[in-house]
Amino acid sequence: MTANEGEETIVSDGNTNDTGVTPAPNKKLPAPTIALWVVVAVVAVGLPFQLAPFRVDQMSSWLTLAIAAMGLNLLTGYNGQISVGHGALYGLGAYTAGLLVAKANVPLLVAVLAAGAVCFVAGVVIGLPALRIKGLYLALVTLAVATLFPLAVEQFSSLTGGNQGLEIRTEQMYRGSMRPRPVKFASPFEGLANDQWKYLVFLAVTAVCFLLTRNLIKSRIGRAMVAIRDNETAAAVSGIPVARTKIYTFGVGSALAGIAGGLMALNLGTIYPSSFTISVSIYFLVAVVIGGSATIAGPIIGALIYGAFNDVLIPELPNQLQPASAVILGGLLIVQVLIAPGGVVGSFKLAGSKLALRKARAAVDNSAAV
Amino acid sequence: MKHKWKVAAASLLAVSMAMTGCSSRDDGSSDGDKNQGSDTTAGEASGAFINPDEDCDDYQGTQGVEGDTIKIGTIRPAPGTPNYGIYDNVTRGAEAYFNAANAAGGVEAGDGKKYKIELIKKDDAYDPAKTPAVARELVEQDGVFAIVGQVGTEPAKAIRDYMNEKCVPNIGLATGSSEWGKANEYPWYIAALPAYATEAHAWVNYLKTAAPNAKVALLYQNDDFGEAYKGSFEREIEGTDIKIVATESFNAIGNLSPEAQVVALSQKSADVFIVGIGGSACPKALSFIPDTWKPMTFISVTCGAKIAMLLSGGHDQGVYLAQATYDPADPADADQPSIVEFREQGKIGGLSDDDISNGLAAPGWGFASLFALGLKEAKTVDRASVMNALFSLKDAQFGMLREGITINTDGAKDPWVVEGFRISQREGEGWVEKAPVENWEGQSNKFADLKD
Amino acid sequence: MRDFLQVLLVGIGDGAIYAMLGLGLVVIYRSTGVLNFAQGELAMFSTFLVWTIWDVGAPMWLAVLLGMVGGFIVGALVHEAFVRPVGDPHQKPLAVVIVTIGLFLGINGLAQVIWGATDKVLEPLFGSSQITIAGVAIQWQKIGAVASLAAVAFVFYILFQKTKLGLAMRAVASNSESAGLVGIPVLRLLMLGWGFAAAVGTLAGVLTAPSLGLSPRLMQLTLIFAFAAITLGGFDSLIGAIVGGLTVGILSSTLPRYVSAFEKMPLAPAFILILLVLLIRPQGLFGSKDVSRV
Repeated sequence: MTANEGEETIVSDGNTNDTGVTPAPNKKLPAPTIALWVVVAVVAVGLPFQLAPFRVDQMSSWLTLAIAAMGLNLLTGYNGQISVGHGALYGLGAYTAGLLVAKANVPLLVAVLAAGAVCFVAGVVIGLPALRIKGLYLALVTLAVATLFPLAVEQFSSLTGGNQGLEIRTEQMYRGSMRPRPVKFASPFEGLANDQWKYLVFLAVTAVCFLLTRNLIKSRIGRAMVAIRDNETAAAVSGIPVARTKIYTFGVGSALAGIAGGLMALNLGTIYPSSFTISVSIYFLVAVVIGGSATIAGPIIGALIYGAFNDVLIPELPNQLQPASAVILGGLLIVQVLIAPGGVVGSFKLAGSKLALRKARAAVDNSAAV
Repeated sequence: MKHKWKVAAASLLAVSMAMTGCSSRDDGSSDGDKNQGSDTTAGEASGAFINPDEDCDDYQGTQGVEGDTIKIGTIRPAPGTPNYGIYDNVTRGAEAYFNAANAAGGVEAGDGKKYKIELIKKDDAYDPAKTPAVARELVEQDGVFAIVGQVGTEPAKAIRDYMNEKCVPNIGLATGSSEWGKANEYPWYIAALPAYATEAHAWVNYLKTAAPNAKVALLYQNDDFGEAYKGSFEREIEGTDIKIVATESFNAIGNLSPEAQVVALSQKSADVFIVGIGGSACPKALSFIPDTWKPMTFISVTCGAKIAMLLSGGHDQGVYLAQATYDPADPADADQPSIVEFREQGKIGGLSDDDISNGLAAPGWGFASLFALGLKEAKTVDRASVMNALFSLKDAQFGMLREGITINTDGAKDPWVVEGFRISQREGEGWVEKAPVENWEGQSNKFADLKD
Repeated sequence: MRDFLQVLLVGIGDGAIYAMLGLGLVVIYRSTGVLNFAQGELAMFSTFLVWTIWDVGAPMWLAVLLGMVGGFIVGALVHEAFVRPVGDPHQKPLAVVIVTIGLFLGINGLAQVIWGATDKVLEPLFGSSQITIAGVAIQWQKIGAVASLAAVAFVFYILFQKTKLGLAMRAVASNSESAGLVGIPVLRLLMLGWGFAAAVGTLAGVLTAPSLGLSPRLMQLTLIFAFAAITLGGFDSLIGAIVGGLTVGILSSTLPRYVSAFEKMPLAPAFILILLVLLIRPQGLFGSKDVSRV
């Protein structure tokens, strides 16, 4: 990141926040973008104060989906390694954090970070065979991992609780004595409810993950990822360390899934193997594709759209139409790949560049007329 | 750059503060651990089983009661849910009960008034990971008075801390896990099925005379549901000459079907086969019994419905079942007054002939009538009052229970509503009695190996 | 020993079904280069067609036949309407994977909307009786599954190796552009590939339904096993699908009985084997190697 040039321009942009007219094609953030980010931030922070606690918890879970989708986007979108098994790493993160909190009383956010670290290592281990196994074969191996995960949880039920779930409980003051109670993010502020506090913590983690991912993508490693996706042989020939980059991407993508899973476990309080079936992996893919794969903001947007679709829209449908939700989702996916393969973000970019093109043409026409 | 971010952060903070300041939540339902005092007093005597003033931080005893309507919720797997989708019929039975009652003016409550019941159905796909969100929606958004007839052991377990903290009743659970015997810890839960432990006791009690030297092959589902049968059965045969010679577990997520397990068990020369699995996997397990194996087969009470038996490919004939209720599909039970009433009223409530005889709508009807019984016995229409009424039943009756089954409860000493069975054997469309009704009042928690 | 044989037979019967579904996957992969995640759902859908026809009173064999024809048509249409427009799967593997996942969700939802509610009971195609040989009970349904697999394999062999149609399909598979140039109706052949795959899937579905109960999730785990089978055998090998299917079926029915570490993970032995095979031969046991071009 080279972020020092043109500081004044930016500041003045921030102050003259009136129209969409931006001066000069400066590479720095234009005013409308800043305005957009401010609006996003205000809505994101303000929303929990407007909604019922269960909605806030749902939004917290959308954030975990978004973080995991960011990880998958690195791997599949930017690096071209198709994974249909990201849900397994999400699950590994969830059980890591859950066990650390329940059995070792580790502080919550430390447990989440540990989940990220464990999944980084697991990702590297899975990434090693992925050097030899490519394309669709890799997709199937990841599918296998995803299918095995809930069964493995069941197999090791003495540790994980198996189908009876892992209850993440900590010793808490309750009715005058310390008792094991469901884990909670206790709000440190008077007037800020626990669910709201939890949401804000999740939001902060999401923002940090987003910024780190964004920087990574814009760094040399990010460019190497794309080069490998577009043509592995050519990338290798031009001196890009293919193996190291691929494994690193697997690791980072998995670490994000692990962090997401850790947060999710603490959000739910009890986790079950059924929370990590193959459908979770599919939903990560859906989020990435709908938002726009290989775009920075795409996974977040996709995750929010999917979350809202699943948690807000579908329950409103009459009972007989509930199964139709799958038809709608499937149909959306297909239509999108056929019509708008870039996802939401890609489509906006496309529309934006078309608009710019038209403006440029118009300008050329005008000057020609003069 | 830095300056810009300061501006952005400051404005963000300002706007968010404005938003929080001018309109924080108005429903007062923050996460329960802030003591807001109770604005409703149930008027429960301090000797009652539940005293909301002591047990609840933020007690809202009449939430969901508006005028002459009581809003309640239920959670079940929607039709189409793998393996467990058939249990939607349970909920349809409960719905029909309330429809029929509403058509007749409503359910009579202890305060002498009649209330219309509005039932909100939610789907959790029998997935305990999904249940909490659904339950919270019912309580926080829909504002239900209680959850009635919830399906599934693990789903019900997944929300009990929450229900406890919110002091919202979960009445007539459609499961018999030993967990529901812990009424001191979870006083807002009351099950409508007999304890699986008591069922296992009834089986062993019968086997002691019918096959005292039985060699048992045991198939169980590896979750709380299956473990309850396995654990209880193992405890019950201690000190007898009945031996378990082979055990296989079935994982509903992982296994395609219990075929390999059943086939493996069939090779162990067992003469009794215990099928401790639920959902449609139970009748499927029966269908895999090879012709070379002719054990006495016992199935779970959750598996005895006609709709389940139809899935067994004809292998239901001769299986044993511990029955507490009449079966609307059994010709022998057709003239029982409760069955006749169910047929008439069920139709008014919107059930078809097929629904009525499928054997799952009938228990659902029963779970709903347990809630109605609680309302009727309660002094006031109040959450704690209804629970206290249900925890102090004396010789009550509800649903389609067999004659001779006694209904008594006494708080945590005897939290189980139904504690009796007869043993019967499948023959044609019906059941033949092999051992008459026997009650084990107040002993279910002992069978379940619970102290308290 | 009898113990083992009995469980082994279950594995062979299951394996035959995985192999059949795997054959469909291979045919599609060979003709269009697509790994079809919706293969199981197509099979489930046409099995429901069979049930519908059977339920109105048609004899079972006729229902299966009509269902296979119906499956053929649905499969061909799905390819034509949804998969082909995406473009070359070798260029855009992710897009094609996503479309077939979309089909997976969509077809499953559609089946729920149409047939919904409870499990349907489908009569076993080969009856529910069994024979006993040396104390080992064998269901006719299992024997039928293996026989059906043999029949399908034979038909495919004739079709692909001995007919002009097969020659043309092989030409399309190896290079669709040049096949088009020499006058082979490429599109119609691709549709045929999807159609054949769906028809075989129908048979697999009909054989699975009696033991699992006919519901929209009928083939979901079966598909995973079938994927395991073709990963083991190689995506483009018909014989590989058969060997892979039977291996996977046998491993996942027998090993969990004898190795306690796999007790609750019936899929684990198959997947571990696959990982090992892939690390040594990334193209599978019988698959042909991809050439990477720059």
